[in-house]
Amino acid sequence: MNEKLQRLLIPEGVRDLLPDTARQKRKLGALIQDIFSRWGYREVSTPAFEYSDSFTAGMKAELRDNVFRFFDEYGKTLVLRPDYTLPLARVAAMHFANAPKPLRLCYGGEIFRYNAGEQGKQRETTQAGVELIGDDSACSDAEIIALAVEVFLASGLEDFVLCLGHIGFLDTLLAAHGLGPDEAARIKLLFSKKDFVALQEEVKRMKISEEAGRSILQVPHLRGGAEVFAAARELLPPGRGTAMLAALQSVWEVLEDYGADSYVTLDLGLVRMLDYYTGMVFEGYTSGFGYPLCGGGRYDRLFVNFGPDMPAVGFAINIDHLLAVLQRQQKLPPAEELSYLAYGKGGRAAAIAAALKQRARGINAVVATAEAAFSQAEQEAAGLGACRLFYYTGDGALEKELRGGENDGK
Amino acid sequence: MKMTANEWLTIALAKGRILPPTLDLLEAAGIDCSVLREKTRKLIFSDNRNKMRFVLAKPTDIPTYVEYGAADLGVVGKDVLLEEEKELYELLDLKLGACRLSVAGKKGGGSFTGGYVATKYPRVAKRYFQQQGKQCEVIKLHGSVELAPLLKLADVIVDLVSTGRTLAENNLVEREIIARITARLVANPGSYQVKGKRIAALVEALSRALAGKEVQS
Repeated sequence: MNEKLQRLLIPEGVRDLLPDTARQKRKLGALIQDIFSRWGYREVSTPAFEYSDSFTAGMKAELRDNVFRFFDEYGKTLVLRPDYTLPLARVAAMHFANAPKPLRLCYGGEIFRYNAGEQGKQRETTQAGVELIGDDSACSDAEIIALAVEVFLASGLEDFVLCLGHIGFLDTLLAAHGLGPDEAARIKLLFSKKDFVALQEEVKRMKISEEAGRSILQVPHLRGGAEVFAAARELLPPGRGTAMLAALQSVWEVLEDYGADSYVTLDLGLVRMLDYYTGMVFEGYTSGFGYPLCGGGRYDRLFVNFGPDMPAVGFAINIDHLLAVLQRQQKLPPAEELSYLAYGKGGRAAAIAAALKQRARGINAVVATAEAAFSQAEQEAAGLGACRLFYYTGDGALEKELRGGENDGK
Repeated sequence: MKMTANEWLTIALAKGRILPPTLDLLEAAGIDCSVLREKTRKLIFSDNRNKMRFVLAKPTDIPTYVEYGAADLGVVGKDVLLEEEKELYELLDLKLGACRLSVAGKKGGGSFTGGYVATKYPRVAKRYFQQQGKQCEVIKLHGSVELAPLLKLADVIVDLVSTGRTLAENNLVEREIIARITARLVANPGSYQVKGKRIAALVEALSRALAGKEVQS
């Protein structure tokens, strides 16, 4: 390959964002952070790389194998941030151990994973999320979900659903039927992939009672609104999982107070494959898009890796996915209008003064870099995709609306 | 569950051998497929009354259509799913087009300990032999894979076997079964969640139709 062309290549899994996508992404991120602030979450920023030891605790093997690792000058292993929840737990343990609880923190930035296994196999993705630390109430759980609903509504997203489950439901059901940890792990993996064909085969293969098998295969049907709670209770042996289901039902009731329940579907077969979840879990989807737009849940035993144990709940939005879907649904802000200020002999000072005035009023304005005839200026303005041309000479000014004004970013 | 305006359901079906029995099954489940029975070269069929759209596609492309949301659901062989490794939800075994994905070699040949493998399923083959700790070089072919051992292009092949006749005619024998293959109903995860009710009803109807078929046979 030609040497110059070779220099233009970028590694697999990363990409350049061009106008207007880069702007739209930044605005989307800003919109989300604004909402987080309005709900009382305070933004923190953590380093792009940290010691590997900070991350390996509480990380599932699949994630552990997928992090970018390198060394510092002392031979210590560093990792490029693969996730925000672990650094946020570290920040909370380090800087807010004695702060009043609950603590509300938010973040936004890039995470890095090999073969994230996602659309286009992006290795760098942008996340925004929150953590609510030091409180284990149903109110906290519901607040996080309602916040996710508000973010999606504010972004203009159509056709979305948040599915809500509880990690304890399958655990309780499988334990009640005497499944060991290995068997339970196999079943949960199939639930996480929603591979119901393999699930059926696995259940048939396992030496468990017919009733146990039937119960497990019934779980995928536990989806819908509040009516699911009764069906779920029936599926569990008497006295088992009562507190867990009651807790989840309380979350649902708070969601009703928020008016967010119409966006939420209960899905008691929902399993998220990060090891640290201990309670409710949820994911956000839109139709026709095969990857979660957001995900989160309760993790009450993660902090023990960093200091005193604390309950916590949080979620993260995949901004790249949300952006892709909004683009497809044509919900992103159009290109901003642009003025072009050009000049002939003696007009430069007037053009610059006018541009400064327009910019002060919030209008995007570009000043020509050299004197030009009016027809030349017109061509330049069209090239920029400007929708208005202002032309100044020593004798006076001229203004022209340009057709289209479309800035396609090319 | 929130009902949305976007309640059209698009199903991608595989063209070819598997299509007629798929249509029979869909009809047994009460889904009107008459638009698909017409002799035309169209690839998209809409049933406005039931808000159902059918897309006919090459089997290997179906996981891609469903992954990117061009279709909410797809009917496709497990062999293709194993090879394509997409993150789709596998909702139902439609028990159609039953066959095996197997390792086959020349009759009388010694056991395969490593070497050259010819296949239309390079990822499946690689994964399978890796798990067995066998080193192999996978050669991707697009058809007539049985030729490879005869022409000494490969030691064994990994291919679909149904009756075993093609193998026998080429002096090959089935050695190991990698997976049992049938057609599956797969869903795009987003569609599965957002169009949950419609998809659940369809799965329910198909399960009943399948159970009815089992009783008959």
